Amino acid sequence: MAERKSRILIVDDASLVRLYYRQILEAVGFEVEEALNGLEALERLLINPPDMLIVDVNMTQMDGVTFLSTLRRQPLPLSSIPALVISTEAGTQDIAAARAAGANFYLVKPLSRDVLAQYAAMFCGLPA
Amino acid sequence: MPLIRNTSDNLASGGPNPAAALTSVSPDERWAAARAAADIPTSIPALAQALAQETEPRVREAIFTALARIATLESALAVLPYLRSTDASIRIGALDALRAMPEAAKPLLPQALADADADVRLLACDLVRNMHDADTPRWLCALLETELEANVCAAAVEVLNEIGDARALPTLWRCAARFPDDPFLAFAIKAAADRLRSHLPGSSG
Amino acid sequence: MVFPEARRHFVERRVADRMAATGATSFARYFVRLSGDLDGEIEKFINAFTVNETYFYREDYQLACLTSDLLGERLRVKPFGEALRIWSVPCSTGEEPYSIAIWLLENWPQVDAHNVEIVGSDIDTNVLEAARAGIFGERALMRLTPKLIDKYFVATEPGRWQILDDLRQSVRFTAVNIVERSETHPHGLFDVIFCRNVLIYFDDSSRRVAAENLYENLAPGGYICLGHTESMSRISPLFEVCRFVNAIIYRKPLEAMHG
Repeated sequence: MAERKSRILIVDDASLVRLYYRQILEAVGFEVEEALNGLEALERLLINPPDMLIVDVNMTQMDGVTFLSTLRRQPLPLSSIPALVISTEAGTQDIAAARAAGANFYLVKPLSRDVLAQYAAMFCGLPA
Repeated sequence: MPLIRNTSDNLASGGPNPAAALTSVSPDERWAAARAAADIPTSIPALAQALAQETEPRVREAIFTALARIATLESALAVLPYLRSTDASIRIGALDALRAMPEAAKPLLPQALADADADVRLLACDLVRNMHDADTPRWLCALLETELEANVCAAAVEVLNEIGDARALPTLWRCAARFPDDPFLAFAIKAAADRLRSHLPGSSG
Repeated sequence: MVFPEARRHFVERRVADRMAATGATSFARYFVRLSGDLDGEIEKFINAFTVNETYFYREDYQLACLTSDLLGERLRVKPFGEALRIWSVPCSTGEEPYSIAIWLLENWPQVDAHNVEIVGSDIDTNVLEAARAGIFGERALMRLTPKLIDKYFVATEPGRWQILDDLRQSVRFTAVNIVERSETHPHGLFDVIFCRNVLIYFDDSSRRVAAENLYENLAPGGYICLGHTESMSRISPLFEVCRFVNAIIYRKPLEAMHG
């Protein structure tokens, strides 16, 4: 019996970044959904909570840090969805802010295919 | 006839000096003052000052909206420095405000695209997108020829992918050659080149 | 749907809009989404072409949400006896506010226990005049059962029906430009605002101002409903997102400062 595929919601306003992640993650067996900012992500996860989130920081209307703070104030189980922040921002303040807002981990762009696939597997509780 | 509701209404767009209320202790009054200031171009200095101190996100949003509504070079200049903020929500607030006043922001873009701070250059690329000007793709190509930060290049490629045409191809390939080890940039440039190769100058979309 | 060659630009724009809305970087990619009906794309695609049509009980899942959830929530927090105020803006020729009225009468058991005020507003005074007259054709009534039409309308001539006087009197129609605060503000605070399929047509800065105006016209905890294919994610960060059964509705925070 096939197991349900783990589902990842990519939150990033760059279409090419979403495409890049989608191709990598689908190739290793994940189901992928996309949102172009924190607000759209909230809407999607209210309807269909994913198994993990990949979150950018700089996005229109609602940035990634604000999104995470808002997410962590939702009722369970939404508030505990694992979130991996992948951002161009490498400053310690940005990383600290994201952690404080509820990021489970923080990676700086650019990301290689292998690293992305590995982290996704880890966050979804799958073997690497 | 309109229904007048008894709210804290006295603070509406009246009063001799709405700008003074921008520093009121009450967030309601600051909100109302910011909204009223959208019609008063001379309030830019007061709005800029208020922006520097405002801690309430929704009031800050209203101040940004007011500056975007005024839409002059001066109001765009008041917003621009906030692209450097260490607070993501302020950065994005500034970006969205500049995005909402493309004509006013346009003269500031060339210098933003050449800013010493890579983060500012990166955000500035996004603003080029809705300039609706046939020349602006060239600004991104010029950036791509000399940009040293891969993430800034990626931001430029993302926008060129949407507004560029086949003339950008040589620049894209040269950029790819300068960053042979960046997996995402290689992917993005190839995707953009595939799309743009069939977009001849002057065609729509 | 079939479009003549003369409508090519209209069609291209709608396709481009859907591609942009779904982040599709190529038509091929969008076509995959459309033919697979990913995320209900077929309905969104159709809506994009018919967005200007108005008729009774359009997007009635939101009317259902009104009576099953929104009004109940509002009653929990409102001072006892205060009227429930609902705003339909833009109201066009009146189908939306009259739909709200009929829906409440038909589907809300508590309708007689509360004062409900419905306001319909539009920038176009011609449609307001038509709305006040309350005369509709077959197409506008196509989602209503014959029983409902019989109950709430009177046939005036073949193919035209007028809504009952009682209902015409129960909706107040006003002219308003939602980008002008001086026009929106005097309308006071509402419990629920229906603002469907208009914000997307504004430029960025007008859209922000309109969203702020509507925010001001909501009571703390009040709700705003957008069109089925619209999202605040492209409009404004001011509102909270709420999920009810099959509906995403936006809300002014309960602890918000007064507009």
